[in-house]
Amino acid sequence: MIFEVSYIYICNLWFRMPQLSQSVLVLNVLIIDDNSARVAAVQNALTGTAYNIQHLASTKSSLLKEVEASNADIIILDMESPSRDTIESLSVISNYNPKPVVMFSTQDNPALLQESISAGVSSYIAGQIDPQRVKFILDVAVARFNEFQELKQELKDTKEKLSSRKWVDQAKALLIEKQGITEQEAYTAIRKMAMENGEKMEVVAKNLVSMAKLLAGGR
Amino acid sequence: MSSISTLPPISLLNQIEKPHLDLGIVALTDSAPIIMAQQLGLFSKWGLHVELHMQNSWATLRDKLHTEKLDAVQMLAPMPMASSMGLLGPACPLLTAFNLSMNGNAITLSQSLFDDIKCLNDGVIPDLPLAGQWLAEIIEKRKLSPSYNPLTFAVVYPFSCHHYQLRDWLESGGIDVDKEVYIIIIPPTQMTQALADNTIDGFCVGAPWNTKAVRDGIGCTVITSCDIWSESPEKVLAVTQAWQHANPNTFLALIAALQEACEWLAFPPNRFETAIKLSQPEYLNEKLDIIAPALLDSCLTSLESSPREIPAYIRFYTRQANYPTLAQGHALLVDMQRAGQVPNSLTDLQLKQWIEQIYRPDLYQQMRQIQQQVASM
Repeated sequence: MIFEVSYIYICNLWFRMPQLSQSVLVLNVLIIDDNSARVAAVQNALTGTAYNIQHLASTKSSLLKEVEASNADIIILDMESPSRDTIESLSVISNYNPKPVVMFSTQDNPALLQESISAGVSSYIAGQIDPQRVKFILDVAVARFNEFQELKQELKDTKEKLSSRKWVDQAKALLIEKQGITEQEAYTAIRKMAMENGEKMEVVAKNLVSMAKLLAGGR
Repeated sequence: MSSISTLPPISLLNQIEKPHLDLGIVALTDSAPIIMAQQLGLFSKWGLHVELHMQNSWATLRDKLHTEKLDAVQMLAPMPMASSMGLLGPACPLLTAFNLSMNGNAITLSQSLFDDIKCLNDGVIPDLPLAGQWLAEIIEKRKLSPSYNPLTFAVVYPFSCHHYQLRDWLESGGIDVDKEVYIIIIPPTQMTQALADNTIDGFCVGAPWNTKAVRDGIGCTVITSCDIWSESPEKVLAVTQAWQHANPNTFLALIAALQEACEWLAFPPNRFETAIKLSQPEYLNEKLDIIAPALLDSCLTSLESSPREIPAYIRFYTRQANYPTLAQGHALLVDMQRAGQVPNSLTDLQLKQWIEQIYRPDLYQQMRQIQQQVASM
């Protein structure tokens, strides 16, 4: 079930994959797992691929430092690992570079796996370790992660644009009302002021609006 | 303890929608109400067959609750808000109608940091609870060193009272938390090791991990959550709103059993019995002398100083303690907002609307009415 979902996903993203392999030749994989048999199975499955395995057991307390020091491109850990909260928090720490996370799971519950995906997990190795599948799952994880990062950036840009437009619109409305000029003239006036002061239109617009509020007695 | 010997009304028992429940907990000293309800047979008394599932991380516990792999869970009090609002993770409307515990957290500093503070005070241990200003002084002093590294503190989860209490304490000393210190997430079982190997300079956690750090001689517990803010919910029982809607009577029976466990825990001799149970391998797997002190209102401070007596160090019961009020939920949301986790753009009115969906004192009152009927029979 899970693999089917992954397969559909990879079809959509297939065109992004070559880009990735051009820029990154070797991907460092950090496995946080106490189960040495499972680590060996993954290691075997990835021999001769672009994935370079580093192993780290979860009982180490300096996990965060090691994650930073390891220069990992991908992190694999068990869904039941106590370190999951630490790894999940990495996406909230602003000075930390987010990385794709793949989880081992003995659960074959698609809803549960989907829930963790929305919590930022990129992919799953569910059930038995199938050597044929492991590389494929990591490929999917990297592709999905990159796609997600792009979406996040786009959303951030859009939000910034929207907020900037909100201020410019308010300032325009003010000028139209107070100065009796047209919308185009108001826009030109704000842009001119921004250029003269070497500031963003949003900043100028914000200043205009707060100044007008101040003059109107804070209302 | 009359309520324990009386039987619940047959009318409720006949209407239990889901008698078999999977309940998720993270094993801590304040899991006591759930663990003891199981041990004392209180769940069965209320017509429930409960299986407890120990979880190793709050994130996985949350995901299992959202997908109803677990019916109900013990959560850090801010977690139902984070889930319902979809903060930094998947969104799922949750509710709580029962405070499992209040208080119980403390801040422990590493031995080397504490020794530095003592040096500032001419080698004498300063008064405890430690004022935040001491830490601010240390930071100012260390900033002068060419090898300066900001102090690093750990908490167990971003949405936790530990996190907000730590921030409040640091801020009380005039420290700019977002600029002058690091706060990282470490699972509770790895806290003392992280303190011992100087990965962190201090932590804010619940019992028994502060006691363990002191007993191991690697840290000094300088302030408890009772000294920072008290009488705020620490752990709550959470279910999804959809689950409560489908199983209203089961939910009432569940919190009725927990209410009885909390009342039982109010009696000091029962705390000994609880400490013994919790020390067993299937729960905390720690020595009795690490688990018992906090349950008996004693806060060990360091190997060289005497323990502090903290009344209601962990509170499980008073007439109001388990009753979740809208004001408590609102206060937590404001803490989350101050920590930058809830958008500042949300107005007070919007916060109140969220809380009304998540905090359900009405359900607690329904449960209380049923218990009163039983008592008067």
